[in-house]
Amino acid sequence: MSEALEPKDGASTDIDPDAAGELAAALEALARDSFVAHHAAQIALPPVLVYGDAVALEWLAACRRLFEFDRDAGRAFARATPDVAAVAKSVLPWTRQALRFLDYPGSWKAIDGFMGNLVNAYTTLGPVGEMRWADIGFAWCGRHTDSGNAYFNTPVHDLAGRLGVPGIEQLSAPAEALFTTRRLALGTFLPGALRVRALLGHGAIAPWARRGIDVLTADRFRGEAYFRLESDESLRLLLDDLPGFRAQQNERFLKMLLTAWYGEACDIQDSGWSPDKGRAFVETDGRAVLAPVTLPDREHAVLGVLHVAGHLQFGTYAVAPLKVLFAQLGLDAEITDARAISWEPLIAQFGDDTGRFKLLFDLCEDLRVDHAIAMIAPTHLRRLARLAALLPMPDGVARDYYRLASASLQFALGGAHSLSQEVATGFARLLEPDATVVDAFRVARSLLPGLDLPKPQTPEDVQNAYLPGRSPNLGRDVKAAQGPGSQSERSEQKESQSGEAEGEQDEDSETVEQETGPQDAEADDSGGAAAHAQSAANRKGTGQTRTGERPAQPQTKTGGPDRWLPYPEWDYRENRYKIDWAWVAEKVLAESNPQEAQRLADRHAGTLKRLKKAIQSQKPTRPAPLTRQMDGDDLDLEATVRYVTERIAGRSPEARVYKRRAIRNRDVAVTLLADLSTSIMQTVADGNGRLVDTVRAGVLLFAESMEEVGDPYSIAGFCSKYRDNVNYYRIKDFDQPFDDRVRATVGGLSGRLATRMGAAIRHAVHRFEGVSTPRRLLLLLSDGRPEDYDDGGDRRYLHEDTRMAVKEAVNAGVHPFCITVDTLANQYLPQIFGRGHYLVLDQIGSLPAKLPEIYLRLRR
Amino acid sequence: MNNPIDPPHANGSEQRDHDIVPPARPTATAPYYEAQGREVEIFEAAYRKRLPVMLKGPTGCGKTRFLEHMAWHLNRPLVTVSCHEDLTSSDLVGRFLLEGNETVWQDGPLTRAVKAGAICYLDEIVEARTDSTVIIHPLTDHRRRLPLEKTGREVTAHEDFLLVISYNPGYQTVLKDLKPSTKQRFIGLNFDFPAEETERRILVNEVPGLDADSAARLVSIARKARSLKDHGLDEVTSTRALVYAANMISAGLPAVEACQVAIINPVTDDIELAAALLEIVRAHFE
Repeated sequence: MSEALEPKDGASTDIDPDAAGELAAALEALARDSFVAHHAAQIALPPVLVYGDAVALEWLAACRRLFEFDRDAGRAFARATPDVAAVAKSVLPWTRQALRFLDYPGSWKAIDGFMGNLVNAYTTLGPVGEMRWADIGFAWCGRHTDSGNAYFNTPVHDLAGRLGVPGIEQLSAPAEALFTTRRLALGTFLPGALRVRALLGHGAIAPWARRGIDVLTADRFRGEAYFRLESDESLRLLLDDLPGFRAQQNERFLKMLLTAWYGEACDIQDSGWSPDKGRAFVETDGRAVLAPVTLPDREHAVLGVLHVAGHLQFGTYAVAPLKVLFAQLGLDAEITDARAISWEPLIAQFGDDTGRFKLLFDLCEDLRVDHAIAMIAPTHLRRLARLAALLPMPDGVARDYYRLASASLQFALGGAHSLSQEVATGFARLLEPDATVVDAFRVARSLLPGLDLPKPQTPEDVQNAYLPGRSPNLGRDVKAAQGPGSQSERSEQKESQSGEAEGEQDEDSETVEQETGPQDAEADDSGGAAAHAQSAANRKGTGQTRTGERPAQPQTKTGGPDRWLPYPEWDYRENRYKIDWAWVAEKVLAESNPQEAQRLADRHAGTLKRLKKAIQSQKPTRPAPLTRQMDGDDLDLEATVRYVTERIAGRSPEARVYKRRAIRNRDVAVTLLADLSTSIMQTVADGNGRLVDTVRAGVLLFAESMEEVGDPYSIAGFCSKYRDNVNYYRIKDFDQPFDDRVRATVGGLSGRLATRMGAAIRHAVHRFEGVSTPRRLLLLLSDGRPEDYDDGGDRRYLHEDTRMAVKEAVNAGVHPFCITVDTLANQYLPQIFGRGHYLVLDQIGSLPAKLPEIYLRLRR
Repeated sequence: MNNPIDPPHANGSEQRDHDIVPPARPTATAPYYEAQGREVEIFEAAYRKRLPVMLKGPTGCGKTRFLEHMAWHLNRPLVTVSCHEDLTSSDLVGRFLLEGNETVWQDGPLTRAVKAGAICYLDEIVEARTDSTVIIHPLTDHRRRLPLEKTGREVTAHEDFLLVISYNPGYQTVLKDLKPSTKQRFIGLNFDFPAEETERRILVNEVPGLDADSAARLVSIARKARSLKDHGLDEVTSTRALVYAANMISAGLPAVEACQVAIINPVTDDIELAAALLEIVRAHFE
């Protein structure tokens, strides 16, 4: 035993023989417990001995207790000791901390993490910060073992997020609240929260967590997926929060621009970019313009979309010039419009210079394209130059490229430039109207040796080399396009080839994407410019996801291929719309019950007869002349006589003496939208069976009355479960006859799920499209407040959303009116629909008779 | 330099208030018109044979100006009636008015024109109610008569009378269209926005002091803006709007602003469309 201590003894200054004996005894005790423990302690002991024997003894005792507690814990403790002791310049503080884990059964994983993180904790947080970090962790161990494990196994760097202890506290506080209220484990919360903070800053954590709680309350599984950022909704929400100009929301605007400039607009799709992927670029796959979720500002977006569409327009990826290019280099590459272009053969010749060449080639081609764009949009180059000048010059390698690109713009603008004669001549070639991508390649190749451009080392070097609005041209898989080779060829080619080309593309597009992806990435790696390849590969994988797509869908019993329409939803807590939040599908009700319809008709026959009579007496049979008008087709004889008499009597009457044959325009179209949530299945208090019977009768009588009135009308119902499953049942469309089938459907109405009223209103308003009547009415038949499973119990949320939906409807020229049998409705309907725009029926039995009456009163 | 608040034509040569049938040649010189094609010759031929003419084309492309120009050349007074959806046949033909204790018949503008041998121009006739468009039928064929149903009389048209209607095919034609029986009574003249070169000339002519470069830019803006016709723009940027914009520029407004108030704001409330139009403007002027 003592031999083992000898060399270390030499290191310490004075040796207390008693202490040496105690140490030996402690080690011996350890050896009795476990050979492994003894061995590990022996290895770790020397750096501890530096702090004195008392310290070493306490450390050995701790080591022994930890081994007793858990073998792995002890081993982790001993193993990390030398490094930690060196960094912490102490032993006892963290040794005592390690012992605190003994209070928490099953925390060996936490000890492992704790010991592993200690070095970083001391270096980044200092001894005081380390204490706080550990204390927060112990609190977690106390709450929940696995959460404690998750905490201590998360790298301190990540937890602190460059903010030190406050950074840790920022994360821990909402996590604590989530744990105490919803039992959400820290391990579920932490990875997502870290990413959220990295993307959007710590301010984004709270709203993100708040929404997560709503989802969690509704469905544990979905909620946990949300927090792990595995669910589409969670990721989408995050991207929604990014600042800047949002391409998807301005798609129509951008497309209009493309139409204006190029005569036709290509698709603008999401590029799948997220902030952790570096700089946001507008790119293309050879067909569509791929825009990131957000761009720094509108100018970036306008110039970027114009530029990338310009590449498509001016033949950067056109088959004809690429064939020329490959042929000239003696390369036998198959270029068709069905495959992604492989640039590798072209740039392989540059070997180590590939990275430099790619940037220079892009620079030349961008100059050519931007100049061509400026022929259509005259201020394009100037705007590019101005935007480039506004941004800070990038650092490092990128700077030289950025500067050269700026100079090329100045050159193209005809201003003073600092280019050498050779470069200027090369660039001048690119400004000629017949220049193609082939010229860009040639110019770049000939200029490369003469230019002293540095090699890009990192993906950032590459990304930062581009002027705003421009982007790597070879970064993505791009399919070649049949068509424009140069401007002059374009018109002929377009006519002859556009038709066939389109047909072929569609068939092949999917398989090609899969085939070419990995293959191209490998080729890129071997090409030498690892940095460039990496950035290309990074982006490649993301091209598949399209944020516009619907999230995975729980199948409903009606099944079938439904068309889902997204609607925004108003979030009062954030004071903004959540884009494409509520998804509505139109469905047909499967159930029908003709017997019930007949029974209801018989039962309410008397009421119906009365209603029809009343309607007939109100109905205008022919255009009623408007009398006593200031102006009109004919004299109103009666009025004229009165006028003349009054005049003669010395008064001064108004000259309302004309009549007009015009009918007063009171064309109304109405949609009856019934709330078909579960609650209508309840038994009503007044002994008239279930509420649903009354609803059926009401809808039936309404329809029968409408047939008599003759106004166009439609009937629909709705229910929902979660924001991505709002069902809109079309019971009768405007142009559909009211026949026995519809009657039977009404007879079979039943309640299911919940009431996401706002989404239903938005869709009903949408359904009014194509109805040309000047007045449009949306009659909402409801029995309760707007609610859904995922509103997190926050009633106000869907109330506010419904209120906004009502407002939107009014703006769209549809007037919503709510009829409810919920006697408590006075508490919320005034806020949602406004005074005078709802009616509470306290006698549920009166609904069938009242519904048509209400309509007739409203249409007056 | 003009006084900034002077009206553009302060010479006082025009009458400020005149009868519904104005004098022929109200101005000393012919109203400026730049021919797009053979419309002048065709119109003259139609007039020689007194065949009614229909001017088809988008708003603001020069239909009215063309007619003013032709009326001046043919030395006929021009009676213009802008049709609207409440325009009744009484508004065209005439009506009884009360004067003192008796009713007095008052001729409407069409009747006045028929009697005076003027050119009667029913602008945007689709806007009028169908019953008012039918009354022009007897005027448009060989009968050349206008029945005044309410007085029980019929007026035979003056031999110099000519009926001209304008008709904007792209404008709400889904719900409103002329009856085929009405349409076929007319010689149809198609108008469109003038060719680039012509439109530039028009701007320079219409707006003294506008430089050729600005004119060229404005015309180029209009070309681009017109390509957005099917994207929510009911009425595309007209030559008239360009003239307005040019006027605003010549009045000293910055070009982008001038285009905004003369070209963009009037035609759309659609925010995105307005933004797209503004981009087009900004790509030309800055």
